[in-house]
Amino acid sequence: MSILPDNIEARLAAVAPSGIQFNTTENKKGVCCSWCKLANKDDLLSSAALLKSIGARLSTITILQPKAPSAPPPKEGETPVAPTNFGGTASDGKTFEIDYHFDVDGDTLTLVVYVPYGGDVQSLTTLFRCADWPERELMELYSVIVRGHPDPRRLFIDPNIDNAVLERLVPFSTLVNSATTKGLWEKILANKGSPS
Amino acid sequence: MSNFTIPVGPLNVALEEPMYFKVDVHGETVANVDIHAGHVHRGIEYLVTKRNVFQNLVLTERICSLCSNSHPQAYAMAIEQIAGLTVPPRAEYMRVIADEIKRVASHLFNVGVLAHLVGFESLFMHVMEVREMMQDVKESMFGNRMDLGAHVIGGVRFNIDDENIAYLKAQLDRIAPAVAEITHLYRTNGSILGRTRGIGVLSHADAVDCSVVGPVARASGINYDVRVKAPYAAYDRLEVPVHTLSDGDVWSRAIVRLSEVTTAVDILRQCLDNLPAGPTSCTTERPSIPVGEAIGKCEAPRGELIYYVRMTDSPRPERVKWRVPSFMNWDALRIMMKDAKIADIAIIVNSIDPCISCTER
Repeated sequence: MSILPDNIEARLAAVAPSGIQFNTTENKKGVCCSWCKLANKDDLLSSAALLKSIGARLSTITILQPKAPSAPPPKEGETPVAPTNFGGTASDGKTFEIDYHFDVDGDTLTLVVYVPYGGDVQSLTTLFRCADWPERELMELYSVIVRGHPDPRRLFIDPNIDNAVLERLVPFSTLVNSATTKGLWEKILANKGSPS
Repeated sequence: MSNFTIPVGPLNVALEEPMYFKVDVHGETVANVDIHAGHVHRGIEYLVTKRNVFQNLVLTERICSLCSNSHPQAYAMAIEQIAGLTVPPRAEYMRVIADEIKRVASHLFNVGVLAHLVGFESLFMHVMEVREMMQDVKESMFGNRMDLGAHVIGGVRFNIDDENIAYLKAQLDRIAPAVAEITHLYRTNGSILGRTRGIGVLSHADAVDCSVVGPVARASGINYDVRVKAPYAAYDRLEVPVHTLSDGDVWSRAIVRLSEVTTAVDILRQCLDNLPAGPTSCTTERPSIPVGEAIGKCEAPRGELIYYVRMTDSPRPERVKWRVPSFMNWDALRIMMKDAKIADIAIIVNSIDPCISCTER
């Protein structure tokens, strides 16, 4: 049985005037998981405030750059239509998707916003003290800007390392500091032959 | 009295893992704490997107040692939801068994270290000796003392027969009275009470504000346990009492953990008595994982562990994000340490049962 109020969709729609896309699933044990995509990232703060008023706890924040969907090549004479996310941001593999996962007494509600590459998003720290660390983490992983964060320092990654580590390819040897096993090297040599 | 800034960590005898606290002190009293993290950041969130769904089950188990079983469990739950797999009843009970065995060992470890930090070495050794019985269980039933390797997508990888059940029951019969004795000591011993009561207090309002989870939250009066609020595995068929206390001090957190050890022993007995027959996995083949996204949540020893998985048309996930319970509890340390004595810093840090490799990934 869902713990979320029955009218949560209507209430979220009322505080997010640009539009929402809401769906909810319930598993066999009666635990609900809801997803609410916001058409406009600027509706985030009002939606989060509504969730806070019903007792939601910010569980965590996920940020990713979803890759562009593979589309069939356009037919002769047609202009290709650029795919877009809900709300009209380009689905080009560069747009950020930020998922704010809230816990409402066991049920999960996720607010999804799309932020164009180079764009910014409002900090939730004014509503949820615990947004501090997750937002610092997403700022060091991607180049997204969080407006109004009280302490926008690096969280885990050393300031000497370039920003936005998840936006670029980090070679495996760099990632593990070249400490790879002899076994792996021998496997490569066996497949490709010795360099000499 | 003069003001100083003293470093605690990143390497400190009282901390098991590296974390750096910059503590502003006024005389002997803590005025402010600044936390610098990142010493064991390994980029595992990046690495999981370079491995396929099944390889990640092995990788996620290696994020942390004390809650190593909870990571593959929450990850498998998310994948099973995407693929629409139903875990057979026997496997659900077996998952609970693996989970609770780890919980007993994890909580006893933390409570034991508390005795060590108090300076009560004989109690520390005694608690670790009791914990060792559970370590023996892990080694005998799973072949490993830390990483159980219990999970596969759609079920569990191990099975137990009557001999295992009799052995586990016998071990539980040895552990239960020892834990009762330890709990009595923590409730009455002057050395323990003197160093833990009223120390590192986190009020209910602050606990809600910081969104702490697990025993830290329950010791501050927040009645939240994923096993009850969002049941998974076989927890919807088991009796799982939630232990809460209202004082929010170091002692309350230790007592909540000890109560949960007793409960875990009871849950294990319930599982062994009601273990259904049947397969331990819903499929013998590797299931195909469709496009989708899902959230898996479970109660790790330290509290709510949440996994978010996004699959696209690749066998490798597009994104896996997890938030470990310790991640939420660090911030609360700044409130707990306010006006504490320098000598109590280590005891307060230990009371959130911090897991740093988990936090930093």
